[in-house]
Parts: sequence; C-alpha cells; structure tokens
Amino acid sequence: MSERMRVLAPRPALAQYASYGGGLGGRFSRRGMLAGAGALGMGLLAGCQSSGSVASSPAADGRIESKLNVYSWGDYDDPDVLDAWSAAHDVKLQVDAYGSNEELIAKLAAARGTSGYDIVVPTGLRVPDMAEHGLIQKLDMSLIPNLDTIDPNFRGQDYDPNDEYSVCKAWGTTGFVYDTSAVPRELTSWQDFIDVAQDEANGTTMLLEDPWEVVAIALAALGHDLNTIDEGELDEAADIVVEQLAPTARAYLGNANTAMAQGGFVLMQAFNGDARQGIMEADDPDRWKFVFPTPSANIWTDNWCLATGAPNPDAAHSFINHVIAPDNAFAQVDYIGYHTGSSVLAEPGIEDDFDFADIVFPTQEVLDRLVPSEFNSGQARRVEIFTDAQARSGT
Amino acid sequence: MKRLAAKVLGPGALAFPTWAYVVFFFVIPVSMVLFYSFGYKPDEYTTVATDRLSFDRYGEVFNGAVLSTLLASLRISIVGTLLCLAISVPFTYWLATKVRPERRGLLLALVMVPFWTNFLVRTLGWQIILSPDGFLSDWMQGLGMLGEPLDILYTRSAVQIGVVYNYLPLMILPLFVAMDTAGTRLREASYDLGAGRISTFFRVTMPLAMPGVISGCVLVFIPLTGDYITASVLGGASGTMIGQIIASQFNTAQNWALGAAMAVSLMLVTLLVAAVAGLLLWAGRALFHRLTRVQLEGVPS
Amino acid sequence: MSADVSRNADAPPAPRTRRSYGGQKRTRLRNTLFAVWGAIVFLFLFTPIAVIVTYSFNSGRVLARWSGFGFGAYVNAVNNDVIISSVVTSLQAAVGAALLSTILGTLGGIALSRVRGGGWWAAALTGVLVFTLVTPEIVDGIAFLPWFVTLGVDAGLTPFSNGLVRLIVSHAMFSMAIVTFIVRARMAGIDTSLEEAAGDLGASPWRAFRDITLPIAAPGVLAGALMSFTLSLDNTILSSFVQQPGYTPWPVYIFASVRVALRPEVAAMSTIMLLLTLFALAVVGYVLRRSGSSSTEIIKTMAG
Repeated sequence: MSERMRVLAPRPALAQYASYGGGLGGRFSRRGMLAGAGALGMGLLAGCQSSGSVASSPAADGRIESKLNVYSWGDYDDPDVLDAWSAAHDVKLQVDAYGSNEELIAKLAAARGTSGYDIVVPTGLRVPDMAEHGLIQKLDMSLIPNLDTIDPNFRGQDYDPNDEYSVCKAWGTTGFVYDTSAVPRELTSWQDFIDVAQDEANGTTMLLEDPWEVVAIALAALGHDLNTIDEGELDEAADIVVEQLAPTARAYLGNANTAMAQGGFVLMQAFNGDARQGIMEADDPDRWKFVFPTPSANIWTDNWCLATGAPNPDAAHSFINHVIAPDNAFAQVDYIGYHTGSSVLAEPGIEDDFDFADIVFPTQEVLDRLVPSEFNSGQARRVEIFTDAQARSGT
Repeated sequence: MKRLAAKVLGPGALAFPTWAYVVFFFVIPVSMVLFYSFGYKPDEYTTVATDRLSFDRYGEVFNGAVLSTLLASLRISIVGTLLCLAISVPFTYWLATKVRPERRGLLLALVMVPFWTNFLVRTLGWQIILSPDGFLSDWMQGLGMLGEPLDILYTRSAVQIGVVYNYLPLMILPLFVAMDTAGTRLREASYDLGAGRISTFFRVTMPLAMPGVISGCVLVFIPLTGDYITASVLGGASGTMIGQIIASQFNTAQNWALGAAMAVSLMLVTLLVAAVAGLLLWAGRALFHRLTRVQLEGVPS
Repeated sequence: MSADVSRNADAPPAPRTRRSYGGQKRTRLRNTLFAVWGAIVFLFLFTPIAVIVTYSFNSGRVLARWSGFGFGAYVNAVNNDVIISSVVTSLQAAVGAALLSTILGTLGGIALSRVRGGGWWAAALTGVLVFTLVTPEIVDGIAFLPWFVTLGVDAGLTPFSNGLVRLIVSHAMFSMAIVTFIVRARMAGIDTSLEEAAGDLGASPWRAFRDITLPIAAPGVLAGALMSFTLSLDNTILSSFVQQPGYTPWPVYIFASVRVALRPEVAAMSTIMLLLTLFALAVVGYVLRRSGSSSTEIIKTMAG
C-alpha cells in the first residue's frame, strides 16, 4: 500500500457520486435475488431468438473509443477512480444503475444487443445463464493484465471456471444493523432479529426488498437450508415471515444506507457494505451495530462482464483493467465497503487501514458458515411469500 | 370543389394519422400485454407462455393478498379524490367569486407551479418534511405538540397526503373553469329571487359546476389509482399500492402473465368505480332536480 | 354582491332581513374565511417546493440531512455532465413529444369535432384514446420496449434503436389523447360554415384549413402542446423502460438516485429548472396578453 492511498480521506468526493447515477429507478434490493431469475431474459430469448437476431458488437481494435456506458448497481464505484480513468483516456463515461439482477437481465434481453451498455455487473450465479443466452460475451483477458492481481481465491470460480466471461468486482454478505440505544442487548442470530422485530423494533424494522433475503431470515432461524425447495420448509418460513415479520415491518427498502439517512428505523436487514456506509455517515456511528448473524447467510460475488453488442469494447477492457488495478483496490473498498477480491487486500494488517474493517472483512469463522444463494424452483414460492408479506404489512 | 374539399379534408381522412399512430404504438403492443394475461408462467426461466389460455391469473388476482392491496389502493384513491374535491370546492369558489378578476390569472398560474415541478421532486419534498428526523418533527417536538418523533413517513397517511398533494392541481383547474363559467350573474339572480347563500351554492353554483367536478374527479381518480411513485417514495410497508405490486411482477417476479392480469384488473376496477360513481351522481342529480325544480322555477338553467 | 333587489313575491322574508341586519359584517367574515382557506391551500401547495428550494442550499452530502448553508450543490450540479445531459435529453424529448403529439392530436381533435352523425371510427378513436389514458403506465412501458426492439432490430428500422426517438414516440403516445380532447373541446362549439364559406369563396381546402380552422383551434393547440410538454418532462415510469444510456431523462436520473441516497444536486437542478419554468411561463403570459387572450382563458381551455 502506498502512502498516497493511506492519505485518502474516507470519501472526499462522495458528493460527486451523483454523477454516476441514472438508469432505471425502482426500489429493489441492491443485490437482488442472488441467482436472480434470468427469467425475463430467458423468456424473451426463447421467444425471440428464432425470429430475431442479436445485434453484434464491433471487435476490439486497440483504439479506445470516446464513450463508455456502464450499467451497474447504484453507487458502486469510487467516483475518483472512475474520473481518473475517463480523464486519462478522454472518454465520456456514463454509469447507470439497476436494482436487481432481474432488472439487468430484463433490460439486456429485451434490448437484444441494442441496450448500448458495454459493461454490466451481474452476480456470479447468473453469469452462466447470461453467457449461455448470449447476454454477455467473452472478455479478452489479454487486454486485462491486472487480472493477475486478483486473489486466486476469486478467480476461476464455479460459475466461470476458465475466467472467460467475468472478473471479480466485489463480494459481500447479508446481516443486520440495529440501534444499540433502543436495543441495548447483544444480538447474534436471525432468531434474535425476529424477536427484536416483534419487541423493541416493532414498527421500526426494515426488511430488504428481496424475496430470497426476506425468506432466508425465517429459514435461517428455523435451521433450514437457505436455498431449500422443500415445500413444507417454505411453508414454515412463510408463517414466520407473514405472521411475525410482516406486521412489524415499516418498510421494504433496497438499501439500509437510505433507511439510516431517513431515520426512524431501529432494526434493518442489510448487506455489509451498505451497512458500513450508513454507519459511517451517521451522526453518531457508535449507536449502530452490524451483525453477521448465525447460523448462516448469503454470500454473493458481483462481476465485471462485457455485454453482448457492446459498442465500445476497447474502452470496456481498458476500464476493467484500470478499476481492478492494485492501486485502486484500496479506494474502491473504502468507498463501497465491499471486498474487491484484489490480492493486495490479502496482505496482513490491511484491516488497520479501513474504518469499520470488521464489517468489510468477515472473519474466517463467519465465512465458513455463509452459503451462496441459488436461483431454483423454490423461487416462485419465495416471491409469493414476499407478496403476501407486503400485503400483510399493509393491513 | 366543395365536395372534393370535404373528401380530402373530411374528418375521417384528417384523423388517419392519429389512428395509425394509436394502432401502431398503442393497440398492437398493449394488446400483446393483454394477451399475456391469459397465459401462465411455465417455469423460473420464462416470463410468460400462451400456449394454454385460461382465466386462472384473474383468479389469482381476486384472491387473497393481491385483492387486499387492490382494495387498499382503491381506498387511498377514493379518499384522495374526495379530499381533493373537498379542498378544491371552497378554494375554487373563492378564486372564482371573491378574488378580483385581474388577479385570478396569476393565482391560477401559481396553482400550476407545483404541476410544473417534477412529480418526484415534489414527493421528495414531502419525504423530507415527514421524516422523523426532519425539521417538522423537530419543531413540533420543540413546541411540545409531539412527545416523540413524527411518525408519518412510511405509513398510509403519508401516501394519502402525497397523493392529495400531487393530484390537487388536476382537480382545481377544471373546477375553477366550471365555477367561473357559472358566472356571477346567475348567482345574483338567485339572491334576487330570495335564495340564501347556502341554498344558492347548492342549487345554482354546484349544479352548474358539475361538469368540472366530474372531469376533475376523473382526472384525479384514474391516474391516482395506478400511481406507484408516490407510494414507493412515501409508503413503506403499510402504504403499498397495487401499482407497486404490478411493477414488481414485471421487474422482480418476472411473471408477466400475472402482472398483465393485475394490470387489466386494475383498469377494469378503476372503470367500474368510475361508472358506479357516475351512476350515483346521475341518480342524485335527477333526485335533486325533482326536489328543487319547483322552488327555483324562476331561475334559467 | 348583496345587491338591493326588487321585491319578489316568492321570497321568504326571513333571509332578507337577516342579510340586511349585520350582513356587511357577516360577508366580511365569510370572505376572510375564504381567503384564509385560499392561503392555506397555497401554503400546502408550496411547502414541499419551498423545502426543496431550501435544501438545495444544503452543503452536506445527503439531501435530507441538513448540515449547513452553501452553494456547493449548484456548482456541482452545473458541472455535472450527467445531470446536464439528462436535463438536455428531457428537454429534447419534451419538445419532440410535444410537437408530435400536438400535430397528431390537433388533427384528431379537429376530425372528431367535425364528425356528423357519429361515424364508427370516431367512436372507436375516442374509445381507444380514453383507453390510452386509463392504461397504467407500467403496462405501456412493458409493452413498448419489446416492440421497439422488434421494430429496430428485426424490422431493421434503425431509428427505433435510438434512445431519443424511443422517448419521443412513447411520450407522444402518452399525451396524444389529452391534446386530442383539448382540441376537440375547443372546436366543439364552432360550426363548419366558416370553412365552407371559405371554400365557396374559392379557397383551397388547405388554405381554408390554415386560415380558418387552425386559428380557431389555436388556443386549444397551444394548451395541448404545453400539457404534452409538461407530461413528457415529468414522465418517469415509461421512460425508465425505454431509455438507453446516453439518453437518460432527468426524472429517471432522479428516481435512480432516490434508491441510493439523494444528493443536494438534485434539489439544486430542480430549483434551476423551476426558475426557468417560471420565466418561460411569464414570457408565455406576456405574449398571450399582448395577443389579447387572458391567461384565465388559456388555463380554462387547458382544463378542457
């Protein structure tokens, strides 16, 4: 780590973040169902591919184009890192935001190569589907030499064993944040979450706007597999979600950070990086506590991918190479609060350079109990439970 | 020559571009969506299939959770429309009769100003006002009006305030036009004939303003029922409106068949409520006319 | 108001007596109450806007959390390429949509007002246009995107792959019905004899249309165009479905920011746009006054 990076103020240019907003609104959870239903995409493709073609993209020719369009999760990169790249190459960089993998896939599939986006950031388990259905194309890794600086643990993952389509962008997990002034106890498990939601946080609980994550609270508390497709287990979970959690929920939001800025919440289901952002921006950070709950929770990985039909492939590769560079890893992690998989972050003692490092870097003990969420045949039931919960909250 | 002109510029020919546009950019694409509502979602990877058509999706809509949200939305939109009306009637009456004519244009333009500010931005203004950590909450606590932080944001009341606010100008405008058209002369005639103010208001002003009331209610009620932005900014868990659930069927659940069925149901229910209201109004007016005809025989109508 | 009137045989004496006795005072009280109500309504209408304008001077990073007074948000907003380009996109789309929907709506409105004896097409057109008004916007959005792709990619009509064209076409669809109905309302009371007279006097159909019909329809057309412009500028849901990178309209940008955390730049830009709007309205009002129409008249036409 160079001296320069240590000096970096936590987020000096956050105010500029807004320049990278845009894109479809709608308050969906930041992470979406991890394995999010590519459903729309697949449906459209199945229906259209026979009749319609997918617009193809120009091949990389070594000249960096004058534009680059990135479609990513909201507020997911340090503006300084982006500015540095676009200034160096004189590229007009536009970053639009989506709120769930489904939204991304829906957009790409419906546009069939005319979306205009170059880079997209799907979650790992969607990568094979998207590749298979032609929504993303292979990256030319020879143009991304910094791939070598990614920790081998985050390369060649199950969803892309040969590192053809994806480059690790960030990974994180789900937990919850609570207000210690209202709940002066130590909370450790999802069962605690459910208990507090019905007690001190009754009417001031925030749940993620994400069926998989909400149902996972109940499944975890029951000790079931978070990805279960067993109808009996899902029914048990439905009972807890609809009868115990839903009546106490004040809002279903995509992002705990927003909820903390808004005020009025005591207990919030949250992704670790968002929780860290919210705590750092709070007036009195000590009041808030983030928990990696037992017995289990989601672990997800987001990836840089190249959209099919990308009009600016050279700029795209150059951009990815820049963002994952070791020099930028620190700024990126500090800004978004998620581990980027860069090998420089594996250096011992690196934690000391970050505020609230314990939220960014879960311990091995925590990591061991996390499971990646899957998109499976239980998804329809999860959506149904979620819809029932929303209706229950409204009565 | 005349006949040729009539042919070339006949109404039918004039309307052709409008027709073509509507068919090409509304009828065709939207019919496709309506068609989906009879389909189903075969598996997780497909949004809709239409090889087997049925009304099952409509069964799902009018069953349980979705229905309760639909009814809750209807309540919000009916109450919202009535509140808009209740606020607008005295307001437009004041504007049309009490305010000096040369100022009316300015005041009307002022009513339009919120309308010219982005819908979302206006709603966000309310989000700030109603926030438990916001200034209103602080003031009210400071003045001792509240013992604890304001507890409105993310409730149904917040949505109710938000929709009344967002759609109020749509009620005020047509109502003002109608009140203004009714004119002062008829009212004065009514006074001359000995009617009191209240009776003049209900027997002369309101009946004449009726077209404005109707178009105002339609303008407010229909978009309000399908609104989902106000509810998604202010509503939280308890203020969910049907529009949000429809959107999530398309965006999150990827169930186009159910989403389309919900959308069609919403349209039908909206039209049904409007029709029932129209019927009630018609019956009420007929009754009212019967009751009042004798006493106001001298007033031209 | 309480004009002294000649006796009327039917008039019950009681109210008259009551009105003359202390009527002045009562009237004044009543007028005060009405004026207070008017003031309350204006307060209600302007409070959120005042809040947004005030918070645009927030020097903090999060809009809703006031941390101090400053002009930083304005500087950032004006220097932010993405904000500026989204506003420009919105304005372009609004102008385009207003033009397109006004042309089509004017033709449709005139045609509908001219039809005699209720042609089937007129009833059908009215019905379809009413339908466009009651269709939830989300349905329009979900219908438009695949349709544009079919046209743009499969049919090879490349303009439909352009983000701006998509915005204009979909927004025009959305507001066309309103323009049509406003113009029809404007033309409803006017009979066709003037046009026919012009025809008899030797004017070509086009001249008759241009010199007679259009001027009569003008206030309605203008009102419709203004309405269409406003609706396009405000459109969020439909736009979010059809928009493309590089053509992100302003409301979609705001809606996306709502999800993360709103920055004061959004309020600053909104304030700037509000001022520009007020200025434009003042200009329009001035022009109209010079051309002899009262603003009340225009707004009345707008409301149909």
